[in-house]
Amino acid sequence: MEKNGLLKRQLSKQGMRQVFTVTCGLIALCIAFGIINPLFFSQRNISNLLRQIAPIILIGIAQSFVLITGNIDLSIGSVVGVSTMMSATLMTKGMNPWLAAFFTLLVSLLFGLVNGYLVAGFKLPPFIATLGTMTIGRGIAQIVNNNYNTGAINTIEKTAEAVDRFRNFFYYGKFLGIYNGVWIALAVFIVFNFILNRTKSGRYLYALGSNPEAARLSGVNVLKTTTIAYLVSAFCSYLVGITQCCSAGMGAMDAGNSYEMYGVAASVMGGVSTLGGTGKLIGTVVGACIWSVLQNGLQFANAPVAIRNIVIGIIIIVAVLLDIIVRNRKPKLADSKKQ
Amino acid sequence: MQDYIVQMNQICKSFPGVKALENVSFDLKAGEVMALLGENGAGKSTLVKILSGVYTKDKGEITVFNELIHNMTQKIANEKGIAIIHQELNMCQHLTVAQNIFLGREPVKYGLIDNKRMNKDSRAILEKLGVSIDPETITGSLQVSKQQMVEIAKALSIDAKVLIMDEPTSALTSREIDELFNIIRNLKSSGCGIVYISHRLEELTNIADRVTIMRDGQFITSGSYKDFTMDQIIAHMVGREIKEKYPHVDCEVGEVVFEVKNINAGRMVRNVSFNIRKGELVGIAGLMGAGRTETTRAIFGADPKENGQIFLNGKEIKINNPKNAIAAGIVLAPENRKTDGLCIKLPVRENISLPNLDIISNKAGVVKLKNDYKMSEKAVQDINIKLPTVDVNAENLSGGNQQKVVVGKWLSGNSKMVMFDEPTRGIDVAAKVEIYHLMNKLKREGIGCLFVSSELPEIIGVADRIIVMCDGRITGELSRNEATQEKVLTLATRFENKISN
Repeated sequence: MEKNGLLKRQLSKQGMRQVFTVTCGLIALCIAFGIINPLFFSQRNISNLLRQIAPIILIGIAQSFVLITGNIDLSIGSVVGVSTMMSATLMTKGMNPWLAAFFTLLVSLLFGLVNGYLVAGFKLPPFIATLGTMTIGRGIAQIVNNNYNTGAINTIEKTAEAVDRFRNFFYYGKFLGIYNGVWIALAVFIVFNFILNRTKSGRYLYALGSNPEAARLSGVNVLKTTTIAYLVSAFCSYLVGITQCCSAGMGAMDAGNSYEMYGVAASVMGGVSTLGGTGKLIGTVVGACIWSVLQNGLQFANAPVAIRNIVIGIIIIVAVLLDIIVRNRKPKLADSKKQ
Repeated sequence: MQDYIVQMNQICKSFPGVKALENVSFDLKAGEVMALLGENGAGKSTLVKILSGVYTKDKGEITVFNELIHNMTQKIANEKGIAIIHQELNMCQHLTVAQNIFLGREPVKYGLIDNKRMNKDSRAILEKLGVSIDPETITGSLQVSKQQMVEIAKALSIDAKVLIMDEPTSALTSREIDELFNIIRNLKSSGCGIVYISHRLEELTNIADRVTIMRDGQFITSGSYKDFTMDQIIAHMVGREIKEKYPHVDCEVGEVVFEVKNINAGRMVRNVSFNIRKGELVGIAGLMGAGRTETTRAIFGADPKENGQIFLNGKEIKINNPKNAIAAGIVLAPENRKTDGLCIKLPVRENISLPNLDIISNKAGVVKLKNDYKMSEKAVQDINIKLPTVDVNAENLSGGNQQKVVVGKWLSGNSKMVMFDEPTRGIDVAAKVEIYHLMNKLKREGIGCLFVSSELPEIIGVADRIIVMCDGRITGELSRNEATQEKVLTLATRFENKISN
């Protein structure tokens, strides 16, 4: 085998070309915003920006896992809400934050489990199944504290110190000068990227998304694989919920509203197909960065919220459109003549 | 002297990294059937796609009806009356026959679709073809063969003068093929030129007037069909002589490897029992809809079965889903590669290793990439799949090579019993022979081997024993020595006496 450069070899891999293109787009965006307002590159903003990116990365990973299997998870935002509200409520009641986080984890994962069984076990269309759990989830987020946002989570004397440490761990603390939230997102990315690319389960996820029947006939357990995807999604959403609880120091009932769509946006900009079977998690990370850089950069450029929304919407469409155009120009038969 | 209606001169076409066509010339006269022959990946499809405007040529000249056409597009092709019927049917399954025929060209009256006229015109076209299909039936509810007729009707509705058929018979039964040939003869006599692509060389005798043979993107030869012998045609296609079209190896037949007893699964699998011995290759013959595919799927656990027992090496095995079967070493290479066999968006490598991940992963479930590559590269070599690297996506391979990937993925594991459903459908002669050699190799290694085939010469030539099915039941068994096409067909048409009421 001839030796290619590292870049070239990576590019030849499935889906990496798209990642390369969007990375170039991201760099171009950063430069553009830097020119419009040099403060964009200030240490303070970069540090803030990274902290804004972290939850979008997690949400993106959540949605990507499900999209790769050819399904969709609309309940992501609601799981974020449940996670925030439930952990915050338990803490205001004086529960140890770690214990509260643990119980919240179990409830969040239950969402993934139910989604997986509804979709793969009972064969409900994923859009409808998760639309249901999304609505249920928002209801639960509202009901856990009797239809009120919670008060501050560190007011109980007994646990105040533990809660502060907990908040530092997930949000306010820094390690090597970078906020912990960023490290958590990075760790989650590394672990799940490894699972997706290097393990049997990862292969099954792709196979399922590409052709469910062929996957089943190849011995893939469809129920288990689908449920794994929804569990990963629920887990990442849970982490975002906990982070939001820590950053605000309270639980808000509308936390995570429409995050599932941010997840779709980050995924598709990074080259994950909503039809399933294709896409790389690294692409999703880049997509999440583009999303956050746009938000942040447009703010720095003094664009009003309405304009920001319009611009971001256009960029989502253009990013995917470009990919489709490039893809359609690709040659069809690679084996027409063996070289 | 007939007029040339299509002339293609020195056509070149490259895709990045591959030269698909190199100075290929091709011509077609009115009222003839031109068979376009070549192995998988020889460039036949690329050539007809250039003619029909799907691809644009890099170099060369296309003349249609004595008019030089510089930029062939699908629109121009339509106007000139060039129609193509693709290997895979392109029908909107939920629309009616008439809606499909007039798709995109619906007759309009007062700004609304004129359904009455559309149905009337469709009926007229279908009648002209001599097929009895109600234009108001939903296309998806028709048999594949009838859908194909609708495709042809669609082509005729644009007044096609040049009809390109890419593997039109691969999904048809022999009776339906006869019907199709009648239609082709009718079209011919009405002055239509037909380009006919097929891997079933046997059928050419019935219809072909001339042949054009291609190999590796190059024009090899062309001429009147009757000037060639079958062996010459094959030699031109393959570039070497194939000595045995149906290689057969005699092995010592040993004990029973695999046995099924009284399997029932719906209407199509009723009380099926048979066994396979060490060193024999068993074929299942039968007509379309005889329950052969259903039988293999029931054994494999792809469809639920009502009852029945499965034994491998004397031990009973419970199979509720494909995973159980694969774990036991019983595998099925399915018939339809697009829907059941391949994940076309994934690289060939991942397709081949998909059912075999347990073998190449460690205990924690991490796939060892080195073994992954080794496995797929070995499979590629073993069955001679033509591809640039194993990382290429399955969708970028030609049909025949895709089929080989489907076979390859099942031979890479430690299977003890392999079932093939139509393993040679739509692939060229040389590749077929490779698949036969593979099956022979399996049987020599003592692996149970079963294949379903609709091609009688193939099943009679390759199998040691032939099980014949009809209407979901096994109607008989023939040994290699006693099997003839007539005997197989007699058994295959032994329908139960159906007493109404």
